[in-house]
Amino acid sequence: MGKPSLLKEVLKWFIGRPVTIQYPYEETPIENRFRGRHFADLNKCTGCSLCAIECPADAITMEKLPEEVSVPKNPRRIYPVISYGKCVYCYRCVTVCPFDAYITTNDYKITGPARLYSRDYSLQSVGGGAQ
Amino acid sequence: MEALSELVKKYALTTYSMKPNRLVIEIPRDRVKEVLKAIKEGCGDTGIYVSTIVGTDFPDKKQVRLDYYLVTHPDDNVYVLRTWLPREDPKVDSILDLFPGALSGECETYDLLGVVFEGNLFIRREFFVPTDVASKEVFPLRKDSGV
Amino acid sequence: MAVDKVIEIPVSLEVPIGPQHPALHEPVMLKVYAEGEEVVKVEVNTGYNHRGIEKLVEKNSFYRNIFIVSRVCGICNIVHSNAYVRAVEQVMGIEPPGRAKYLRVLAMELERIHSHMIINAIMAEVLGYDTLFMYIMRDREKVMKAKEILTGNRVLGDYLMVGGVRRDLSEVDRERIKDVLIKLEPEVRKYIRVFEEDETIGKRLRGVGVVKPKDVTLHGLVGPTARGSGVNIDARREGYDAYGEVPFNIIVRSDMDSWSRMMVRWHETIESINMCKYVLENLPSDGPAVPDETKLPRKFPVGEAFTRVEAPRGELTYYVMSDGRQNPWRVKIRTPSFNNIINSGFSYIGYTIADVPVILTSYDPCISCMERAIVTDLRRGEKKYVRFKDLNRGLK
Repeated sequence: MGKPSLLKEVLKWFIGRPVTIQYPYEETPIENRFRGRHFADLNKCTGCSLCAIECPADAITMEKLPEEVSVPKNPRRIYPVISYGKCVYCYRCVTVCPFDAYITTNDYKITGPARLYSRDYSLQSVGGGAQ
Repeated sequence: MEALSELVKKYALTTYSMKPNRLVIEIPRDRVKEVLKAIKEGCGDTGIYVSTIVGTDFPDKKQVRLDYYLVTHPDDNVYVLRTWLPREDPKVDSILDLFPGALSGECETYDLLGVVFEGNLFIRREFFVPTDVASKEVFPLRKDSGV
Repeated sequence: MAVDKVIEIPVSLEVPIGPQHPALHEPVMLKVYAEGEEVVKVEVNTGYNHRGIEKLVEKNSFYRNIFIVSRVCGICNIVHSNAYVRAVEQVMGIEPPGRAKYLRVLAMELERIHSHMIINAIMAEVLGYDTLFMYIMRDREKVMKAKEILTGNRVLGDYLMVGGVRRDLSEVDRERIKDVLIKLEPEVRKYIRVFEEDETIGKRLRGVGVVKPKDVTLHGLVGPTARGSGVNIDARREGYDAYGEVPFNIIVRSDMDSWSRMMVRWHETIESINMCKYVLENLPSDGPAVPDETKLPRKFPVGEAFTRVEAPRGELTYYVMSDGRQNPWRVKIRTPSFNNIINSGFSYIGYTIADVPVILTSYDPCISCMERAIVTDLRRGEKKYVRFKDLNRGLK
């Protein structure tokens, strides 16, 4: 009876570097294919609303496009706006979209009031929106 | 698979199968306890356990369906004992003294669907349902509960 | 609770354990009646974490429900969606290709590894062995990384879809996951040695919370709890998905106590690592594992199906009934903790109060799993459905 194996481990890590990551100062390693923030690319979006219907969290609402924005194919002039606070990042909207109109990123840092909705990201894809 | 179906043969109204490969045996409501007693005696204490009790509401048929899912051990076959209760007065004998493991299922089915298990002293409202719903005397899983 | 004759001793002390963190961070309340140090009766009080998922899925479409049911439990979300998706596939008559089945097994076994590691870590914490807790959690993080590589998220995989899985595994990622598993195995073996040899752990766990095989079947206990008492209940023997093809041993121990249950979990972890390696080496390529989600059928036939999955905590069952409309008529979820916690009140009797958290932890409780069924908040007379966004708060 005894616990030599763990004692050795304790000593090893007593002098070693800590495993924890000092997050705000150090980046957490993240996968490229991590399901992070995503938004609609208005060059491709046709305003079909399928993503809003299929969203299990009801996080997507269809909004009217601003007057000054010109989009190639969107007769009804509506586009999906994702509320990142509601979104559960299941990517159902990405996979269900018939026009592959969603741009996906592995960005997991979504806090802050300016980034709470996908509105600006989507508008930037066609040169509009606040920077 | 034969053993259990032989045991309940004389009680069965109809039998059919449910996907994937589960044998459903419909039995009359007043003989539930009798059937389960016969099964327990036939399979032995360690030969079978009650996996789930599922209640489903059918307002248009004015009935509540009660399914007992039994799993035999060690050959892992699933049997479904199915019985229909009138919706206005859903009462059935409790099987708690035969299978204490039915406690959680019976308590939940009463709390959510209002099926009364006669002989089970532990059934009560607010087992899961929050007080504000339970105090309105509605059973949330009934289709017309308005919940 | 399930004991029908309780000897009521007049001078007995009522000790409420919980509902805040009775042992691990879960809202359940054990009302313990004790005489001196000895427990004479335990009532399990529930209802602190009820979110109404069974009603919620009746009000959502079949495809949306895949993501809702995986929020039943944070730890074992893939088994939940697997049980539901297979039930829907049975109703619809779809058979996924072999590659998808293997990938599902891989995801579920990775989940089993990290679930068993977390409960063993929590057991170490409950025993007051915080160093061991930290070490196990550190190594668990490797598994979470493997899960992130496979599914795209550390915890909530959202990996399954009717007819397959939602993302394929590339050759590079395959090697990376294999690498994680190879590094993990010696660490797990080390912890097994600690659990076997450490005197403190032995004294706190051995002989505590004995459950006899007869009680297991009568009370409907499932999973490692049953297998720790020598009852060989394992839904994986049904051979769903690729479990019929992947070789594995079912770990059964006959010590019947808390220690036995924890050791079952450790040895299953090793078994799961081997299964994952087998899957990674023998991944078939017989068809597209990822179905085109835009082309899935929109019509649902009338039918019903009952599926069982061996979740990390035991047998998880789903009953799905379709009446031909877009929403299911009834979905019944019976989680392993639902049986293991509510029906296990009998097993605390005769032990001391200090043993209660140990016994509870050895059942691996998951209250989010247990109490999912009903809605609502009828404040001020207005109906307010529990929305999906509220569900993710209940995860542990």
